[in-house]
Amino acid sequence: MAHSTATADLSDSSVMGDSRLAAVSRAALGIGIAGLLATAWIGWNRADPAQFAKIYLVNFMFVLALCLGSLQFTLIQHLVRAGWSVVVRRVAESIAANLTWIWILFLPVAWLYFSNPHFGEHGPSGLGLVWPWADMEWMRSHDAAEAAIVDKKAAYLNPKFFMIRAVAYFVIWAGTAAWLLRTSRAQDASGSVALTQRMGKWAGPLIILYGVSITFAAFDWMMSLSPTWFSTMFGVYFFCCVSTAGFSFLAFVVLRMQQMGYLRNVVTPEHYQDLGKLIFAFGVVFWAYIAYSQYMLIWYANIPEETTFFLSRQVGGWTWLSAILLVGHFMIPFVLLISRWVKRWRLTLALGAVWMAAFAWLDLWYLIMPPVPTKLATYDSLSAFAEANAGASTGLLDPLPYTMLVGMMGLLVWSTAARLSRGPVLCRRDPRLPESLRFENI
Amino acid sequence: MQTTSSTRGFVDRDNTAETPGERASLVLGMHRFGEITHQVCRVSENPPPMAWYVAFAVSIGLVGLLGVAVTYLVFTGVGVWGLNNPVMWAFDITNFVFWVGIGHAGTLISAILFLFRQKWRTGINRFAEAMTIFAVICAGLFPGIHVGRVWFAYWLFPIPNQMEMWPQFRSPLLWDVFAVSTYFTVSLVFWYVGLIPDLATMRDRATGKVQQIAYGFFSLGWRGSMRHWHRYEVAYLLLAALATPLVLSVHSVVSFDFAVSQLPGWHTTIFPPYFVAGAIFSGFAMVVTLAVPARELFGLKDLITLRHLDNMNKIILVTGCMVGYAYSMEFFIAWYSGAMYEKFAFVNRAFGQYWWAYWIMVSCNVITPQLFWFKRIRTSIPIMFVLSLFVNVGMWFERFVIIVTSLANDFLPTSWHDFVPTWVDIATMFGAFGLFGTLFLLFCRYLPMIAIAEVKATMPEADPHHGHAHEGAHAGSHDHSHGHGMGAAGLRPAFRDPEAPTH
Repeated sequence: MAHSTATADLSDSSVMGDSRLAAVSRAALGIGIAGLLATAWIGWNRADPAQFAKIYLVNFMFVLALCLGSLQFTLIQHLVRAGWSVVVRRVAESIAANLTWIWILFLPVAWLYFSNPHFGEHGPSGLGLVWPWADMEWMRSHDAAEAAIVDKKAAYLNPKFFMIRAVAYFVIWAGTAAWLLRTSRAQDASGSVALTQRMGKWAGPLIILYGVSITFAAFDWMMSLSPTWFSTMFGVYFFCCVSTAGFSFLAFVVLRMQQMGYLRNVVTPEHYQDLGKLIFAFGVVFWAYIAYSQYMLIWYANIPEETTFFLSRQVGGWTWLSAILLVGHFMIPFVLLISRWVKRWRLTLALGAVWMAAFAWLDLWYLIMPPVPTKLATYDSLSAFAEANAGASTGLLDPLPYTMLVGMMGLLVWSTAARLSRGPVLCRRDPRLPESLRFENI
Repeated sequence: MQTTSSTRGFVDRDNTAETPGERASLVLGMHRFGEITHQVCRVSENPPPMAWYVAFAVSIGLVGLLGVAVTYLVFTGVGVWGLNNPVMWAFDITNFVFWVGIGHAGTLISAILFLFRQKWRTGINRFAEAMTIFAVICAGLFPGIHVGRVWFAYWLFPIPNQMEMWPQFRSPLLWDVFAVSTYFTVSLVFWYVGLIPDLATMRDRATGKVQQIAYGFFSLGWRGSMRHWHRYEVAYLLLAALATPLVLSVHSVVSFDFAVSQLPGWHTTIFPPYFVAGAIFSGFAMVVTLAVPARELFGLKDLITLRHLDNMNKIILVTGCMVGYAYSMEFFIAWYSGAMYEKFAFVNRAFGQYWWAYWIMVSCNVITPQLFWFKRIRTSIPIMFVLSLFVNVGMWFERFVIIVTSLANDFLPTSWHDFVPTWVDIATMFGAFGLFGTLFLLFCRYLPMIAIAEVKATMPEADPHHGHAHEGAHAGSHDHSHGHGMGAAGLRPAFRDPEAPTH
């Protein structure tokens, strides 16, 4: 194979971030600001703040998932003492480091909490705009029986504790990501093997903290949108969302950087194949396994308080989106990504990564946007709900989610590229680098 | 350390030090391929140690007990078990799930670790796969005898008959029949395909006529030609890919037996991955339980090294944490659901009449495995052996807790009834261990316990570059490792540590 005989290019222009990445960073900032301005302009002419807020939540969860995916990638590589992945680890660390500022995007939620605005004459106030349990007065006036159930969870689902938990999640993620990048960069300077050992040693406890934090973040920010619904699988499901989005984004960034001239002969089709395997294993197969298990068990037992979740995703246009997810998130990529050449050829892997990231975004849309049944789950209330929402639209033809996505992605790429432009884009003194450079799938 | 040939393999050597940039040797103290062949084959070629006979006698005794219990059951009816209404499932299904779970480590080691390129799997895969097959045999016993009229057990299968009798296709119990029989078939084929080259080795070394014919018959005329190896490698990769989804699917289907129902404590969406994690957890514990005495008795310490055990203990720790995560999620969501039945089911597990079973489960599955955070414990043979037994006990109790506590206290308090096992329940349970032990001991005695050909491929000597001088550009000292084992082909990009001084 041609690449086997090529010599890894470890010259400065290949492994040092420079003005090319800085230019990408500036362009991304421009595009991001344009996206945010367009969002503001469209949003300004909108009467429905609840819809706006939920679209914001979808995009926030998406960029969050992109960063968390790289964080979990880095932690797992350290935990299992992986050799193959060293050549892409700096890129992952740099994407994950966005978690140090991602809390800024959560500030609108803090604004809802602290200023507690009212929306409409009969609407909820404060956080209740998105999460109905946050305004129990409103819930009680809406349906007392439903509110009585939610009341039992008040020890967990209350605005104050919700905000405290959010702070805890951001501290855990920001701290972990910052420490990993800092330690890894320190190794660039010192070449110390002890730093590798230190990161390996702490990866275990950190990954436990990470797992617990993403589970409860998923409960807080997404599962509690339907405050009476519950699923023990939901945290695992969000792990799949993070893996799909995060691994796809990582692969795409590495592909793009190599196209720009970085990491020449450092990242080879061997590494791409492994990145593709991760997308295939966790984004396609494991996601399908978890989604199927959750769906099948709830469908089979047919308990009204659980089936509401899928009922609201099988009304109107949501039925189609459910089917499209099944085909697009599982069937098509399963057939395509299972082949070796698809993962090794840059063009097809890039297409696959973009495809899977798009479906990860759609999956979040599917989790967050559907109408929520807010009356106690009975045959009558659910029939009425299904009837009332028979023509429900998924809202995907609206430009707002896309301008907002462009805006947030612009910020993410701006920060990531700026960070990469300031130093080596390769962990160049990692003791396992030689192993990674000569790595081959056999 | 200098060891004579008689003590070789009976002394532990430490290869657990983790040096980033180097990969530790997985075969210790041997530099010729023939030495590995000899180490493994001598186990079945020489008379076994006395301990083998003692273990075999105990196991056969337990099989006899199993025979008595099952015969009594068949001639009398399932009423001889402690089952009652509402506890219509208890030891039988507990044992079934336990044994199916034990099998999972073998498949994970042979299939998933193969796809993950974990070379250390070669030291343990053969007997872990054998363990899988024997465990599934033990598992299959229980549904078979639970039908009561065992002569109708074939009704479990959708066989066309003149009575138009069909199993209920919507029942997960029928899915189990398919899942477990597929699992058994694929595991058996995978194991056997892997055995063929080693059986040929045994054939070639055999001196007795019987052995020559037996090994010769099963080695299918293997001559070790290039074409044989090529076909073998392709078949092995394909079987690994086929077996990989089975690791997830079998125990997921087993979990459906419970989770599709509406019973609190059974119906929860995390059951499929939680059962899979638990299965791998218990399976690895069983591998450690078997590997520790086997390497001791048969002198295999240079092939199943401390590093292998260390790695397995790490997997036990990881899967133990996953199981702990699932327990916590169940408990949290039971409270969070606001449903009184859910909440009752879990509080009752922890503090009801079976509280002791619940706390045995939590202590053995979540608390004690945390000791494996410490390397000193992961590499201590006696401690890991005891902890692996704890995990076996804990995982048996996990299934007991799930099954019995949820059934004994159902929705209607007037129908509540405790389960008390009878001597037949207990005799059948221990008898199954005897059956497992018997099969495993026979395996150790007559078949190569370690995949001879695969282990050889992990030796640095198997690398085509072995013994060649490194390219001159290698200034970085950490590249000079024999243990890297990263591939046979010729990728060796010239690498220079940018900061290192040049000569």
